[in-house]
Amino acid sequence: MECRNFKELLDSYLCQELAVETNHQLLNHAEHCPPCRAEMTSRRNMRESLRRACSQDRLSEEACERLRARLRAEISASESLIGRRQRWTSLFDLRFAIPITVTAAVLIVAAVVMLPFLKSQTTPVQSFELSDTLLSEAVSDHHKCAPKFIQATRSAVMPSTVEPAYVGLEKVAASGAEGLRLHSAHVCAPDGRRFAHLVYTRDGSLISLLVTERDKRALKIGNLPSDDVSLAGLQEANLSNLSLGAFQTPKHIILVVSDLPTDENHKLAQTLASPVVEHIRKLDGQSVAASPQYRFDDGLTVLIASLKKGER
Amino acid sequence: MIGNSAQNTQQKLQTFEAQALGFADQLFRVALRLCRDRAKAEDLVQETYLQSWRSFHRFELGTNLRAWLYKIMFNVHYSNQRKDRLHLVPVEETIAETLAYDPPTPQRLTEAEVLAALERLPRDFQIPIVLSDVEELSYREIADVMEIPIGTVMSRLHRGRKILRTELVNYARESGYNVSTRTKRGE
Repeated sequence: MECRNFKELLDSYLCQELAVETNHQLLNHAEHCPPCRAEMTSRRNMRESLRRACSQDRLSEEACERLRARLRAEISASESLIGRRQRWTSLFDLRFAIPITVTAAVLIVAAVVMLPFLKSQTTPVQSFELSDTLLSEAVSDHHKCAPKFIQATRSAVMPSTVEPAYVGLEKVAASGAEGLRLHSAHVCAPDGRRFAHLVYTRDGSLISLLVTERDKRALKIGNLPSDDVSLAGLQEANLSNLSLGAFQTPKHIILVVSDLPTDENHKLAQTLASPVVEHIRKLDGQSVAASPQYRFDDGLTVLIASLKKGER
Repeated sequence: MIGNSAQNTQQKLQTFEAQALGFADQLFRVALRLCRDRAKAEDLVQETYLQSWRSFHRFELGTNLRAWLYKIMFNVHYSNQRKDRLHLVPVEETIAETLAYDPPTPQRLTEAEVLAALERLPRDFQIPIVLSDVEELSYREIADVMEIPIGTVMSRLHRGRKILRTELVNYARESGYNVSTRTKRGE
Protein backbone atom coordinates (compact mmCIF):
# COMPACT_ATOMS: atom_id res chain seq x y z
CA MET A 1 0.00 0.00 0.00
CA GLU A 2 1.24 3.45 -0.91
CA CYS A 3 1.10 6.46 1.40
CA ARG A 4 -1.38 8.14 -0.91
CA ASN A 5 -3.78 5.19 -0.65
CA PHE A 6 -3.22 5.08 3.09
CA LYS A 7 -4.29 8.70 3.47
CA GLU A 8 -7.33 8.14 1.27
CA LEU A 9 -8.51 5.21 3.35
CA LEU A 10 -7.42 6.43 6.76
CA ASP A 11 -10.65 8.23 7.65
CA SER A 12 -12.76 5.24 6.67
CA TYR A 13 -10.47 3.08 8.75
CA LEU A 14 -11.07 5.31 11.78
CA CYS A 15 -14.79 5.08 11.11
CA GLN A 16 -14.52 1.29 11.00
CA GLU A 17 -16.02 1.26 7.54
CA LEU A 18 -13.34 -0.88 5.91
CA ALA A 19 -13.19 -4.61 5.34
CA VAL A 20 -11.04 -6.58 7.78
CA GLU A 21 -8.51 -7.32 5.03
CA THR A 22 -8.10 -3.63 4.15
CA ASN A 23 -7.69 -2.83 7.83
CA HIS A 24 -4.76 -5.21 7.97
CA GLN A 25 -3.16 -3.69 4.89
CA LEU A 26 -3.50 -0.25 6.43
CA LEU A 27 -2.01 -1.32 9.75
CA ASN A 28 0.85 -3.07 7.96
CA HIS A 29 1.65 0.12 6.08
CA ALA A 30 1.50 2.25 9.24
CA GLU A 31 3.87 -0.10 10.95
CA HIS A 32 6.56 0.47 8.34
CA CYS A 33 5.84 4.14 7.57
CA PRO A 34 6.43 6.60 10.46
CA PRO A 35 4.90 9.65 8.67
CA CYS A 36 1.68 7.72 7.99
CA ARG A 37 1.66 6.40 11.53
CA ALA A 38 1.94 9.99 12.72
CA GLU A 39 -0.86 11.03 10.37
CA MET A 40 -3.03 8.26 11.77
CA THR A 41 -2.44 9.54 15.30
CA SER A 42 -3.08 13.13 14.26
CA ARG A 43 -6.35 12.32 12.57
CA ARG A 44 -7.45 10.19 15.47
CA ASN A 45 -6.65 13.08 17.78
CA MET A 46 -8.49 15.47 15.54
CA ARG A 47 -11.47 13.22 15.58
CA GLU A 48 -11.35 13.07 19.35
CA SER A 49 -11.04 16.84 19.54
CA LEU A 50 -13.98 17.29 17.26
CA ARG A 51 -16.07 14.92 19.34
CA ARG A 52 -15.16 16.59 22.59
CA ALA A 53 -15.72 20.04 21.13
CA CYS A 54 -19.12 19.15 19.80
CA SER A 55 -20.08 17.29 22.95
CA GLN A 56 -19.89 20.54 24.84
CA ASP A 57 -23.04 21.58 23.10
CA ARG A 58 -25.76 20.26 25.32
CA LEU A 59 -29.42 20.85 25.65
CA SER A 60 -29.83 23.32 28.53
CA GLU A 61 -31.49 22.08 31.72
CA GLU A 62 -34.35 24.42 31.05
CA ALA A 63 -34.86 23.15 27.49
CA CYS A 64 -34.55 19.59 28.74
CA GLU A 65 -37.26 20.13 31.35
CA ARG A 66 -39.51 21.76 28.75
CA LEU A 67 -38.98 18.79 26.49
CA ARG A 68 -39.85 16.26 29.20
CA ALA A 69 -42.96 18.16 30.24
CA ARG A 70 -44.12 18.48 26.66
CA LEU A 71 -43.49 14.82 26.01
CA ARG A 72 -45.25 13.68 29.17
CA ALA A 73 -48.29 15.72 28.23
CA GLU A 74 -48.23 14.22 24.76
CA ILE A 75 -47.85 10.68 26.06
CA SER A 76 -50.65 10.92 28.63
CA ALA A 77 -52.87 12.48 25.99
CA SER A 78 -52.10 9.77 23.48
CA GLU A 79 -52.35 6.89 25.96
CA SER A 80 -56.13 6.92 25.91
CA LEU A 81 -56.05 7.36 22.16
CA ILE A 82 -53.76 4.39 21.79
CA GLY A 83 -56.06 2.26 23.91
CA ARG A 84 -58.92 3.15 21.66
CA ARG A 85 -56.93 2.66 18.48
CA GLN A 86 -55.83 -0.76 19.63
CA ARG A 87 -59.35 -1.93 20.17
CA TRP A 88 -60.14 -0.86 16.65
CA THR A 89 -57.06 -2.30 15.07
CA SER A 90 -57.67 -5.56 16.92
CA LEU A 91 -60.90 -5.86 14.95
CA PHE A 92 -58.74 -6.20 11.90
CA ASP A 93 -56.73 -9.03 13.32
CA LEU A 94 -56.74 -11.98 10.97
CA ARG A 95 -58.65 -13.98 13.54
CA PHE A 96 -61.58 -11.59 13.34
CA ALA A 97 -61.23 -10.71 9.68
CA ILE A 98 -63.16 -13.72 8.34
CA PRO A 99 -66.14 -13.59 10.76
CA ILE A 100 -66.41 -9.84 10.21
CA THR A 101 -66.30 -10.22 6.45
CA VAL A 102 -68.91 -13.00 6.56
CA THR A 103 -71.18 -10.99 8.85
CA ALA A 104 -70.86 -7.95 6.64
CA ALA A 105 -71.65 -10.04 3.56
CA VAL A 106 -74.70 -11.60 5.24
CA LEU A 107 -75.96 -8.19 6.30
CA ILE A 108 -75.54 -6.83 2.79
CA VAL A 109 -77.34 -9.80 1.24
CA ALA A 110 -80.11 -9.53 3.85
CA ALA A 111 -80.47 -5.83 3.15
CA VAL A 112 -80.72 -6.47 -0.59
CA VAL A 113 -83.27 -9.24 -0.07
CA MET A 114 -85.30 -7.17 2.39
CA LEU A 115 -85.27 -4.07 0.21
CA PRO A 116 -88.53 -4.85 -1.67
CA PHE A 117 -90.24 -5.63 1.63
CA LEU A 118 -88.97 -2.48 3.22
CA LYS A 119 -90.14 -0.54 0.21
CA SER A 120 -93.57 -2.18 0.30
CA GLN A 121 -94.07 -0.74 3.74
CA THR A 122 -94.05 2.74 2.34
CA THR A 123 -96.10 1.91 -0.78
CA PRO A 124 -98.00 -1.18 0.27
CA VAL A 125 -99.35 -3.39 -2.46
CA GLN A 126 -101.18 -6.23 -0.79
CA SER A 127 -102.17 -9.32 -2.68
CA PHE A 128 -105.82 -8.54 -2.10
CA GLU A 129 -105.66 -4.87 -3.04
CA LEU A 130 -108.15 -4.00 -5.75
CA SER A 131 -107.00 -2.45 -8.96
CA ASP A 132 -107.82 1.08 -9.91
CA THR A 133 -109.31 -0.33 -13.08
CA LEU A 134 -111.84 -2.40 -11.16
CA LEU A 135 -112.80 0.54 -8.97
CA SER A 136 -113.34 2.84 -11.92
CA GLU A 137 -115.26 0.10 -13.76
CA ALA A 138 -117.54 -0.32 -10.74
CA VAL A 139 -118.06 3.45 -10.45
CA SER A 140 -118.67 3.68 -14.19
CA ASP A 141 -121.26 0.90 -14.02
CA HIS A 142 -122.99 2.61 -11.13
CA HIS A 143 -123.04 5.92 -13.04
CA LYS A 144 -124.16 4.53 -16.38
CA CYS A 145 -126.43 1.69 -15.40
CA ALA A 146 -128.02 2.33 -12.01
CA PRO A 147 -129.84 5.62 -12.81
CA LYS A 148 -131.71 3.90 -15.63
CA PHE A 149 -133.58 1.74 -13.15
CA ILE A 150 -134.67 4.36 -10.63
CA GLN A 151 -138.01 4.73 -12.35
CA ALA A 152 -138.38 1.01 -13.06
CA THR A 153 -141.64 -0.43 -11.92
CA ARG A 154 -141.44 -4.05 -12.95
CA SER A 155 -140.27 -6.54 -10.38
CA ALA A 156 -136.50 -6.84 -9.96
CA VAL A 157 -135.62 -10.47 -10.39
CA MET A 158 -132.28 -11.79 -11.58
CA PRO A 159 -132.78 -13.74 -14.81
CA SER A 160 -132.14 -17.46 -14.47
CA THR A 161 -129.94 -17.40 -17.56
CA VAL A 162 -127.05 -15.65 -15.85
CA GLU A 163 -124.05 -17.30 -14.20
CA PRO A 164 -125.13 -19.78 -11.50
CA ALA A 165 -123.44 -17.74 -8.79
CA TYR A 166 -125.60 -14.72 -9.64
CA VAL A 167 -128.92 -16.52 -9.89
CA GLY A 168 -131.27 -15.49 -7.07
CA LEU A 169 -128.75 -12.93 -5.83
CA GLU A 170 -131.47 -10.38 -4.99
CA LYS A 171 -133.09 -12.93 -2.67
CA VAL A 172 -129.78 -13.56 -0.93
CA ALA A 173 -129.18 -9.85 -0.54
CA ALA A 174 -132.68 -9.15 0.73
CA SER A 175 -131.86 -10.09 4.33
CA GLY A 176 -129.24 -7.37 4.48
CA ALA A 177 -131.19 -4.84 2.49
CA GLU A 178 -133.63 -3.66 5.11
CA GLY A 179 -134.80 -0.13 4.47
CA LEU A 180 -133.55 -0.30 0.90
CA ARG A 181 -135.72 -0.38 -2.15
CA LEU A 182 -134.57 -2.73 -4.89
CA HIS A 183 -135.02 -1.38 -8.39
CA SER A 184 -133.22 -3.91 -10.51
CA ALA A 185 -131.32 -7.17 -10.52
CA HIS A 186 -129.42 -7.83 -13.70
CA VAL A 187 -126.10 -8.60 -15.23
CA CYS A 188 -124.45 -5.85 -17.22
CA ALA A 189 -121.14 -5.03 -18.82
CA PRO A 190 -121.04 -1.37 -19.88
CA ASP A 191 -117.23 -1.19 -20.02
CA GLY A 192 -116.50 -4.82 -20.78
CA ARG A 193 -116.43 -6.18 -17.24
CA ARG A 194 -119.45 -8.28 -16.34
CA PHE A 195 -121.20 -7.30 -13.13
CA ALA A 196 -124.17 -8.81 -11.39
CA HIS A 197 -125.91 -5.57 -10.56
CA LEU A 198 -128.51 -4.93 -7.83
CA VAL A 199 -129.76 -1.34 -7.90
CA TYR A 200 -131.14 0.08 -4.65
CA THR A 201 -132.26 3.41 -3.37
CA ARG A 202 -132.55 4.69 0.19
CA ASP A 203 -133.80 8.16 1.04
CA GLY A 204 -132.97 9.36 -2.44
CA SER A 205 -129.52 7.86 -2.51
CA LEU A 206 -128.64 5.52 -5.34
CA ILE A 207 -126.92 2.35 -4.26
CA SER A 208 -125.37 -0.41 -6.37
CA LEU A 209 -124.41 -3.83 -5.19
CA LEU A 210 -122.04 -5.29 -7.73
CA VAL A 211 -120.59 -8.77 -7.96
CA THR A 212 -117.85 -9.53 -10.41
CA GLU A 213 -115.24 -12.13 -11.06
CA ARG A 214 -112.05 -11.89 -9.09
CA ASP A 215 -109.61 -12.00 -11.96
CA LYS A 216 -106.14 -10.69 -12.55
CA ARG A 217 -107.30 -7.32 -13.76
CA ALA A 218 -109.33 -6.82 -10.61
CA LEU A 219 -106.26 -6.91 -8.39
CA LYS A 220 -103.46 -4.42 -8.10
CA ILE A 221 -100.70 -7.00 -8.13
CA GLY A 222 -101.85 -8.15 -11.57
CA ASN A 223 -102.20 -11.83 -10.76
CA LEU A 224 -104.49 -14.03 -8.77
CA PRO A 225 -103.10 -14.85 -5.35
CA SER A 226 -103.40 -18.33 -4.00
CA ASP A 227 -104.57 -17.00 -0.62
CA ASP A 228 -108.01 -17.59 0.83
CA VAL A 229 -108.69 -13.84 1.02
CA SER A 230 -108.99 -14.12 4.79
CA LEU A 231 -106.88 -10.98 5.00
CA ALA A 232 -109.28 -9.00 2.86
CA GLY A 233 -112.11 -7.61 4.89
CA LEU A 234 -114.04 -4.58 3.83
CA GLN A 235 -112.06 -2.40 1.52
CA GLU A 236 -113.09 1.14 0.91
CA ALA A 237 -112.41 3.83 -1.62
CA ASN A 238 -113.74 7.17 -2.68
CA LEU A 239 -113.92 7.79 -6.38
CA SER A 240 -115.82 10.32 -8.52
CA ASN A 241 -117.78 11.56 -5.51
CA LEU A 242 -118.86 8.01 -4.78
CA SER A 243 -118.04 5.75 -1.88
CA LEU A 244 -117.02 2.21 -2.54
CA GLY A 245 -116.90 -0.74 -0.18
CA ALA A 246 -115.58 -4.07 -1.38
CA PHE A 247 -115.33 -7.64 -0.13
CA GLN A 248 -113.47 -10.49 -1.70
CA THR A 249 -114.15 -14.18 -1.90
CA PRO A 250 -111.76 -16.60 -3.58
CA LYS A 251 -113.42 -16.11 -6.96
CA HIS A 252 -115.54 -13.00 -6.66
CA ILE A 253 -115.51 -9.39 -5.60
CA ILE A 254 -118.61 -7.85 -4.06
CA LEU A 255 -118.82 -4.07 -4.19
CA VAL A 256 -121.22 -1.59 -2.70
CA VAL A 257 -121.15 1.73 -4.53
CA SER A 258 -123.18 4.74 -3.42
CA ASP A 259 -123.25 8.50 -3.21
CA LEU A 260 -123.47 8.19 0.57
CA PRO A 261 -120.75 9.57 2.80
CA THR A 262 -117.90 7.20 3.52
CA ASP A 263 -118.99 6.21 7.02
CA GLU A 264 -122.59 5.58 5.97
CA ASN A 265 -121.48 3.57 2.98
CA HIS A 266 -119.20 1.67 5.35
CA LYS A 267 -122.14 0.59 7.51
CA LEU A 268 -124.32 -0.13 4.51
CA ALA A 269 -121.66 -2.16 2.82
CA GLN A 270 -121.36 -4.40 5.86
CA THR A 271 -125.05 -5.06 6.25
CA LEU A 272 -125.97 -5.23 2.58
CA ALA A 273 -123.00 -7.25 1.37
CA SER A 274 -122.74 -9.67 4.27
CA PRO A 275 -125.31 -12.24 3.15
CA VAL A 276 -124.12 -11.97 -0.47
CA VAL A 277 -120.50 -12.55 0.54
CA GLU A 278 -121.53 -15.51 2.67
CA HIS A 279 -123.48 -16.93 -0.22
CA ILE A 280 -120.79 -16.40 -2.85
CA ARG A 281 -118.12 -17.72 -0.54
CA LYS A 282 -120.04 -20.91 -0.07
CA LEU A 283 -120.39 -21.30 -3.80
CA ASP A 284 -116.68 -20.59 -4.32
CA GLY A 285 -115.86 -22.97 -1.49
CA GLN A 286 -117.58 -25.84 -3.30
CA SER A 287 -114.92 -25.69 -5.97
CA VAL A 288 -112.11 -24.51 -3.74
CA ALA A 289 -111.34 -27.20 -1.22
CA ALA A 290 -110.45 -26.45 2.35
CA SER A 291 -111.47 -22.85 2.26
CA PRO A 292 -111.36 -21.60 5.83
CA GLN A 293 -114.38 -20.02 7.41
CA TYR A 294 -114.47 -16.36 6.59
CA ARG A 295 -115.65 -14.07 9.31
CA PHE A 296 -116.46 -10.47 8.70
CA ASP A 297 -115.50 -9.01 11.99
CA ASP A 298 -112.09 -10.61 11.96
CA GLY A 299 -109.27 -8.66 10.47
CA LEU A 300 -111.44 -5.98 9.05
CA THR A 301 -109.13 -4.09 6.83
CA VAL A 302 -109.89 -0.67 5.66
CA LEU A 303 -107.88 0.57 2.79
CA ILE A 304 -108.52 4.01 1.56
CA ALA A 305 -107.45 4.19 -2.02
CA SER A 306 -105.31 7.18 -2.66
CA LEU A 307 -106.77 7.34 -6.13
CA LYS A 308 -108.08 10.79 -6.99
CA LYS A 309 -107.49 12.00 -3.50
CA GLY A 310 -109.57 14.83 -2.22
CA GLU A 311 -112.09 14.48 -4.99
CA ARG A 312 -114.81 13.85 -2.53
CA MET B 1 -53.89 -10.55 21.67
CA ILE B 2 -55.27 -7.25 22.90
CA GLY B 3 -53.61 -7.76 26.24
CA ASN B 4 -50.34 -8.48 24.48
CA SER B 5 -50.38 -5.31 22.46
CA ALA B 6 -51.28 -3.29 25.56
CA GLN B 7 -48.31 -4.86 27.24
CA ASN B 8 -46.24 -4.03 24.17
CA THR B 9 -47.36 -0.43 24.33
CA GLN B 10 -46.50 -0.20 28.01
CA GLN B 11 -43.15 -1.72 27.26
CA LYS B 12 -42.57 0.64 24.37
CA LEU B 13 -43.60 3.58 26.48
CA GLN B 14 -41.03 2.71 29.11
CA THR B 15 -38.41 2.08 26.46
CA PHE B 16 -39.13 5.38 24.83
CA GLU B 17 -38.86 7.35 28.04
CA ALA B 18 -35.81 5.51 29.28
CA GLN B 19 -33.86 5.29 26.06
CA ALA B 20 -34.99 7.90 23.58
CA LEU B 21 -34.70 10.83 25.97
CA GLY B 22 -31.11 9.83 26.61
CA PHE B 23 -30.25 10.93 23.08
CA ALA B 24 -31.56 14.45 23.57
CA ASP B 25 -28.09 16.01 23.78
CA GLN B 26 -26.85 14.12 20.75
CA LEU B 27 -29.87 15.15 18.73
CA PHE B 28 -29.38 18.70 19.88
CA ARG B 29 -25.77 18.75 18.66
CA VAL B 30 -26.82 17.81 15.17
CA ALA B 31 -29.85 20.11 15.41
CA LEU B 32 -27.46 22.97 16.11
CA ARG B 33 -25.57 22.18 12.88
CA LEU B 34 -28.84 22.08 10.99
CA CYS B 35 -30.43 25.21 12.44
CA ARG B 36 -27.37 27.24 13.47
CA ASP B 37 -29.54 28.69 16.20
CA ARG B 38 -29.96 27.39 19.74
CA ALA B 39 -33.65 28.22 20.11
CA LYS B 40 -34.49 26.73 16.73
CA ALA B 41 -32.41 23.67 17.53
CA GLU B 42 -34.27 23.18 20.82
CA ASP B 43 -37.57 23.42 18.99
CA LEU B 44 -36.36 20.94 16.42
CA VAL B 45 -35.39 18.43 19.11
CA GLN B 46 -38.73 18.81 20.85
CA GLU B 47 -40.62 18.38 17.60
CA THR B 48 -38.48 15.34 16.83
CA TYR B 49 -39.42 13.68 20.11
CA LEU B 50 -43.09 14.41 19.67
CA GLN B 51 -43.03 13.04 16.14
CA SER B 52 -41.07 9.98 17.14
CA TRP B 53 -43.44 9.26 20.02
CA ARG B 54 -46.38 9.48 17.66
CA SER B 55 -44.80 6.97 15.31
CA PHE B 56 -43.12 4.91 18.01
CA HIS B 57 -45.55 2.06 17.38
CA ARG B 58 -43.78 1.65 14.03
CA PHE B 59 -40.36 1.44 15.64
CA GLU B 60 -39.03 -2.06 15.92
CA LEU B 61 -37.47 -2.66 19.29
CA GLY B 62 -33.93 -3.85 19.00
CA THR B 63 -33.06 -1.76 15.96
CA ASN B 64 -31.00 1.40 16.15
CA LEU B 65 -33.13 3.84 18.10
CA ARG B 66 -30.64 6.67 17.80
CA ALA B 67 -30.41 6.44 14.00
CA TRP B 68 -34.18 6.26 13.89
CA LEU B 69 -34.44 9.45 15.95
CA TYR B 70 -31.94 11.21 13.71
CA LYS B 71 -33.93 10.19 10.69
CA ILE B 72 -37.09 11.66 12.16
CA MET B 73 -35.22 14.83 13.05
CA PHE B 74 -33.99 15.24 9.49
CA ASN B 75 -37.51 14.62 8.20
CA VAL B 76 -38.89 17.28 10.51
CA HIS B 77 -36.08 19.63 9.52
CA TYR B 78 -36.60 19.05 5.81
CA SER B 79 -40.33 19.64 6.07
CA ASN B 80 -39.74 22.77 8.15
CA GLN B 81 -37.43 24.02 5.45
CA ARG B 82 -40.08 23.39 2.84
CA LYS B 83 -42.60 25.24 5.00
CA ASP B 84 -40.24 28.18 5.42
CA ARG B 85 -39.55 28.07 1.71
CA LEU B 86 -35.88 28.16 2.45
CA HIS B 87 -33.66 26.51 -0.02
CA LEU B 88 -30.28 25.12 0.77
CA VAL B 89 -27.50 26.65 -1.20
CA PRO B 90 -26.31 23.94 -3.57
CA VAL B 91 -23.12 22.32 -2.47
CA GLU B 92 -20.11 23.66 -4.19
CA GLU B 93 -18.90 20.33 -5.39
CA THR B 94 -15.73 21.90 -6.80
CA ILE B 95 -14.41 23.11 -3.44
CA ALA B 96 -12.78 19.89 -2.44
CA GLU B 97 -12.30 18.69 -5.99
CA THR B 98 -9.68 21.33 -6.55
CA LEU B 99 -7.95 20.58 -3.30
CA ALA B 100 -5.34 18.30 -4.74
CA TYR B 101 -3.09 18.99 -1.84
CA ASP B 102 -3.89 16.92 1.22
CA PRO B 103 -1.88 18.46 4.01
CA PRO B 104 -0.71 16.48 7.03
CA THR B 105 -3.01 16.92 9.98
CA PRO B 106 -1.61 19.22 12.64
CA GLN B 107 -0.57 17.25 15.65
CA ARG B 108 -1.60 19.69 18.29
CA LEU B 109 -5.10 21.01 18.00
CA THR B 110 -7.33 22.61 20.56
CA GLU B 111 -11.00 21.74 20.61
CA ALA B 112 -11.83 25.32 19.86
CA GLU B 113 -9.68 25.27 16.75
CA VAL B 114 -11.34 22.15 15.47
CA LEU B 115 -14.78 23.54 16.20
CA ALA B 116 -13.99 26.80 14.47
CA ALA B 117 -12.79 24.94 11.40
CA LEU B 118 -15.94 22.88 11.41
CA GLU B 119 -18.13 25.97 11.61
CA ARG B 120 -16.55 27.31 8.45
CA LEU B 121 -17.43 24.24 6.46
CA PRO B 122 -20.45 24.36 4.14
CA ARG B 123 -23.36 22.73 5.95
CA ASP B 124 -23.65 19.85 3.52
CA PHE B 125 -20.09 18.84 4.42
CA GLN B 126 -20.38 19.72 8.07
CA ILE B 127 -23.34 17.52 8.86
CA PRO B 128 -21.99 14.22 7.50
CA ILE B 129 -18.75 14.85 9.40
CA VAL B 130 -20.63 15.46 12.64
CA LEU B 131 -22.79 12.38 12.08
CA SER B 132 -19.74 10.27 11.33
CA ASP B 133 -16.95 11.58 13.58
CA VAL B 134 -19.00 12.86 16.49
CA GLU B 135 -22.14 10.76 16.50
CA GLU B 136 -20.37 7.73 15.04
CA LEU B 137 -23.10 6.73 12.67
CA SER B 138 -22.10 4.37 9.90
CA TYR B 139 -21.99 5.63 6.31
CA ARG B 140 -25.10 3.59 5.63
CA GLU B 141 -26.96 5.14 8.55
CA ILE B 142 -25.93 8.64 7.47
CA ALA B 143 -27.26 7.95 3.99
CA ASP B 144 -30.58 6.79 5.50
CA VAL B 145 -30.84 9.71 7.89
CA MET B 146 -30.00 12.38 5.32
CA GLU B 147 -31.86 10.59 2.55
CA ILE B 148 -28.96 10.82 0.16
CA PRO B 149 -27.05 8.02 -1.65
CA ILE B 150 -24.25 6.38 0.30
CA GLY B 151 -21.81 7.40 -2.46
CA THR B 152 -22.72 11.02 -1.88
CA VAL B 153 -22.14 10.54 1.85
CA MET B 154 -18.68 9.12 1.19
CA SER B 155 -17.65 11.85 -1.23
CA ARG B 156 -18.94 14.59 1.07
CA LEU B 157 -17.07 13.10 4.00
CA HIS B 158 -13.92 12.78 1.96
CA ARG B 159 -14.02 16.32 0.68
CA GLY B 160 -15.25 17.78 3.94
CA ARG B 161 -12.43 16.24 5.92
CA LYS B 162 -9.91 17.44 3.39
CA ILE B 163 -11.21 21.00 3.70
CA LEU B 164 -11.26 20.68 7.47
CA ARG B 165 -7.64 19.58 7.55
CA THR B 166 -6.61 22.38 5.23
CA GLU B 167 -8.35 24.86 7.48
CA LEU B 168 -6.65 23.45 10.54
CA VAL B 169 -3.27 23.59 8.87
CA ASN B 170 -3.95 27.24 8.12
CA TYR B 171 -4.90 27.77 11.77
CA ALA B 172 -1.77 26.09 12.90
CA ARG B 173 0.30 28.31 10.63
CA GLU B 174 -1.45 31.42 11.85
CA SER B 175 -1.32 30.34 15.47
CA GLY B 176 0.58 32.56 17.78
CA TYR B 177 -1.19 35.69 16.68
CA ASN B 178 -4.59 34.70 15.42
CA VAL B 179 -5.84 31.65 17.25
CA SER B 180 -7.44 33.49 20.14
CA THR B 181 -9.74 35.61 17.96
CA ARG B 182 -10.71 32.57 15.93
CA THR B 183 -11.42 30.72 19.12
CA LYS B 184 -13.80 33.45 20.13
CA ARG B 185 -15.55 33.19 16.81
CA GLY B 186 -15.84 29.48 17.22
CA GLU B 187 -17.77 29.88 20.41
